[in-house]
Amino acid sequence: MLSSADFALIGHPESWSAAAAVLSALRGRQPAIPAQDLREIIPWIPPRTVCRVRVRSSCGREARGVYIDSFIPPDRLEARFLRENLVRVRGAAEYAIREGAKIVTLGGFSSILLEGKLDLLPQHPGTSFTTGNTLTVALILRGMERAVDIAGRSLRTASLLIIGASGDVGSGCACCLAPRVKRLLLCARNPDRLQKLRAELMRLGTEIEVGTDVRQLAAKADLIVCAASLTAPAILLDGVAAATIICDAGYPRNLQPGSVPVHGAVFFGGLGQAAAGFRLDPDLEGILNPHPFPNVAHGCLLEGMALALEGRFEPFSRGRGLITASRVDEIWEIAVKHGLTLPPLFNADGPVERRISNLSAEARA
Amino acid sequence: MEDANFKKPSATEASANEHAAQVWRDVLAQAVTGELVAALNYEALAGICTEPDEKAEALEHAESEKGHAARFTAAGRDLGITVAADVYALYWKRMRSAFMSRVRAADFIGCLLVQEVMLESFAVAGYQQIAEVAPGKLGKTFAVIAIEEAEHIDHAVGMLREERARNSEAFDEKVHRLHEEVMTTFAEMVAREDRGGHCGLCYGNCVKPSLPAVGLSLGNIRGASLHHYLKILDAIGLPGESTLGWVAQLPV
Repeated sequence: MLSSADFALIGHPESWSAAAAVLSALRGRQPAIPAQDLREIIPWIPPRTVCRVRVRSSCGREARGVYIDSFIPPDRLEARFLRENLVRVRGAAEYAIREGAKIVTLGGFSSILLEGKLDLLPQHPGTSFTTGNTLTVALILRGMERAVDIAGRSLRTASLLIIGASGDVGSGCACCLAPRVKRLLLCARNPDRLQKLRAELMRLGTEIEVGTDVRQLAAKADLIVCAASLTAPAILLDGVAAATIICDAGYPRNLQPGSVPVHGAVFFGGLGQAAAGFRLDPDLEGILNPHPFPNVAHGCLLEGMALALEGRFEPFSRGRGLITASRVDEIWEIAVKHGLTLPPLFNADGPVERRISNLSAEARA
Repeated sequence: MEDANFKKPSATEASANEHAAQVWRDVLAQAVTGELVAALNYEALAGICTEPDEKAEALEHAESEKGHAARFTAAGRDLGITVAADVYALYWKRMRSAFMSRVRAADFIGCLLVQEVMLESFAVAGYQQIAEVAPGKLGKTFAVIAIEEAEHIDHAVGMLREERARNSEAFDEKVHRLHEEVMTTFAEMVAREDRGGHCGLCYGNCVKPSLPAVGLSLGNIRGASLHHYLKILDAIGLPGESTLGWVAQLPV
């Protein structure tokens, strides 16, 4: 064991530019690694701690942890690389155990081990694993509530589309939002899973439509939660109705700088902010978390921090389709207690709340 | 009369075979030189061992490395290749010099770090990559020797873990210092371009651009070596964020 950590956060580079930024920061004044060399080197780096993390609670507590990168190459997230990626994630989980972490978040793709490949997850009596998906769902909900409020609209009258609805985050959002919206549109690649989810949610009395065609459903929605990374993100730009509010909660993100719909507004969902701050050593803040506001991180990673600050070293989020409204409320209460809340809404181009507030006026005009 | 089963190679095939043989000649020159450097290093290490069993083991390793060099040379001969070797060639001389500075300082642990962790990582991972594509007996020779080299490393890891447990700060600092000296040389050696000039082992022009002709990838050899090296450092107990930073700073 290297040193004792309260928590470990396991992630992977969101893009080649993100991977390049980390290595460039570690190279100091030396010239950046050429793109071709970077693409040759990254796949060979074994999972390892990239930086140490210290997070403060707004009620005075402190927790120490590590950020472990599994170094899954950003262009190898597809199904055909599943086997090699599972080996990497397992290696990262073993590394977290070696670091002595009591609670480990399997962020992004890594969550697959807890969502359905539990037999591959290494076991250790002092270490629990969580996907962090419950706090991600909570932050998506809070974000959508804020966006709707800023736009002067109501969830009650909204037609809300969830893309990636059969995934753990998507189904968690569906479960929590179904009783609160006028019409719920659910989109995913697997029609059987969609029908199953529809049957479960029909009990709530909400009007529900399901389908596998994003473009067709997007045209009917005025609110969209994108809980998956799309192979063709442009659908989100050209297929939406005027004044649509889109929460992009995919990882990797679907919408890059400059690519926002002309008639709608996009904000990045599932992100939270630590009010009392966190520190990274080496200081990779701004590289690992390139956001316009400080101390912002992905909800899944913040769930690990929240559980560590609360001293609840338990597998809070695991399995698939098990996120309920009461569990979302529970993790949100813990997060808020420690000052882990919703940051101002933003996207790849910067803050976006003003844009959202202008939407209704634009639609009327 | 010509054998009915014998298919005379076309001019293109003959040219490709000749080109492949030239590549293997240069690859083998690096392997044989590396083994001879290792043999010399272990002989020098024996000179500073205080325990008789350590001295015997170092001499045994030296013999083993000489045996590897002989097997590579023989494998080349089977392909009709005369393999060159030069322990004073540009990069090998620098790596040997780093090792000898540790010998002069009677630094047994430093010697283990240079030879068993750094140079052997390159040997094991590089040989494994070559074994996957090298034809017939040559491939088998690389595969078997890779396994034998890996056994050396396993032996060293336990000793180095114990040494680190005594004073981790001083140990990590020593590894870093040697890393900068040896692994920088290694990184220059496997970089796409030879900024320091001809390596002194390739028969003609640098072999690196020709490696794909026999199915080898310089990127994979470099990547696999760094992967192996980082895993060994992990096994010894060095913090991942430190070793990642060191590797990130190597020349490309």
